[in-house]
Amino acid sequence: MDNLLSLQGKHILVTGASSGMGKVFAQMAAAQGARVSLLARNEERLKVTLESLEGEGHDFCTCDLTEDDQLTDIVNKIDQLDGIVLCAGINDFVPVKFIKQEKISKMFQTNYFSQLILVQKLLKKKLINKGASIVFISSISSMLGVQGTLLYASSKGAINSAVRVLASELANQRIRVNAICPGIVKTEMLSGTNVDEDVFTKQEALYPLGLGTPKDVGGAVLFHLSDASRWLTGQCMIMDGGFTLN
Amino acid sequence: MEIKDFIDNFASNFDETDTDSFTPETKFRDLDEWTSMLALATMAMVSEEYDVELTAEEMRNAQTIEDLFNTTKSHL
Ligand SMILES: NC(=O)c1ccc[n+]([C@@H]2O[C@H](COP(=O)([O-])OP(=O)(O)OC[C@H]3O[C@@H](n4cnc5c(N)ncnc54)[C@H](OP(=O)(O)O)[C@@H]3O)[C@@H](O)[C@H]2O)c1
Repeated sequence: MDNLLSLQGKHILVTGASSGMGKVFAQMAAAQGARVSLLARNEERLKVTLESLEGEGHDFCTCDLTEDDQLTDIVNKIDQLDGIVLCAGINDFVPVKFIKQEKISKMFQTNYFSQLILVQKLLKKKLINKGASIVFISSISSMLGVQGTLLYASSKGAINSAVRVLASELANQRIRVNAICPGIVKTEMLSGTNVDEDVFTKQEALYPLGLGTPKDVGGAVLFHLSDASRWLTGQCMIMDGGFTLN
Repeated sequence: MEIKDFIDNFASNFDETDTDSFTPETKFRDLDEWTSMLALATMAMVSEEYDVELTAEEMRNAQTIEDLFNTTKSHL
């Protein structure tokens, strides 16, 4: 029987590949035989990811996703894709009383607008192959009401809505669009926010299967990218080690 | 930057506590009303009023209002 989970012969773009989950997803995709293109702002860290990839033919492009002209450059350079993992994202905890237009713009620009524009530009140039899979990394926050997460949660909620519409518009080309909504995953993001890292690690007790690792989520990403999920589209998969069971 | 104004700004985020009694020595973590949300609100206040972005670690290390004032001042 064919190995349904194989990514042999597929070209996959991973955004946010310089750190955390995106880096591990790129490594896992390469290990399954994919040719991977990496995208993020930090060239040094992208090179580290690139060197860690199994197999040949991988490349990287530095790009600030919030800069429209840089996005256009990328789309002019990249070749045909069979999968896209949209993993770049930021987090910032802001109580509602302190929300400003500037903060809303920054969050939505990175976590939402830029991702749509990237997909739009790739589609317009017909760079997404028939049968390709688009995977957004949303967050369980989009379905909860955790204090201080108004901007982050709503930017991810916007992704969840976009997934369904995109899935429906792209189904005739057999391009599938889904999201994964992880609970807390141990990555650089946890030490990079304005909230004490302890706040996250203390949540471990609320996770029946413990906090996640990038590899835990990576398993689902491989499934979404592979032909094993060829009948799956328009869905947001919660992956949280059982957190929402409580 | 004056400690008196800083205390007023700090106090403006509280809704329940009698903020008239706030002094530089007030250990804010011991206040009943103190929560992780107030920590975020305090950081947001410092950003808005003083244009200083306190880190989670700086926030954790501060015990009194004066500690916070001094940390903020050290960035100016
Ligand atoms: N960690 C968690 O607990 C958790 C839970 C649920 C969902 N998520 C989501 O999972 C995704 C990955 O998170 P992570 O934990 O792996 O975070 P991370 O380690 O901080 O990685 C974020 C990535 O996004 C890239 N990025 C940020 N802004 C960018 C921009 N303007 N242009 C291009 N790239 C940009 C960063 O690269 P550069 O700095 O090099 O640009 C980095 O590679 C995010 O969307 C996050 O919201 C995380």
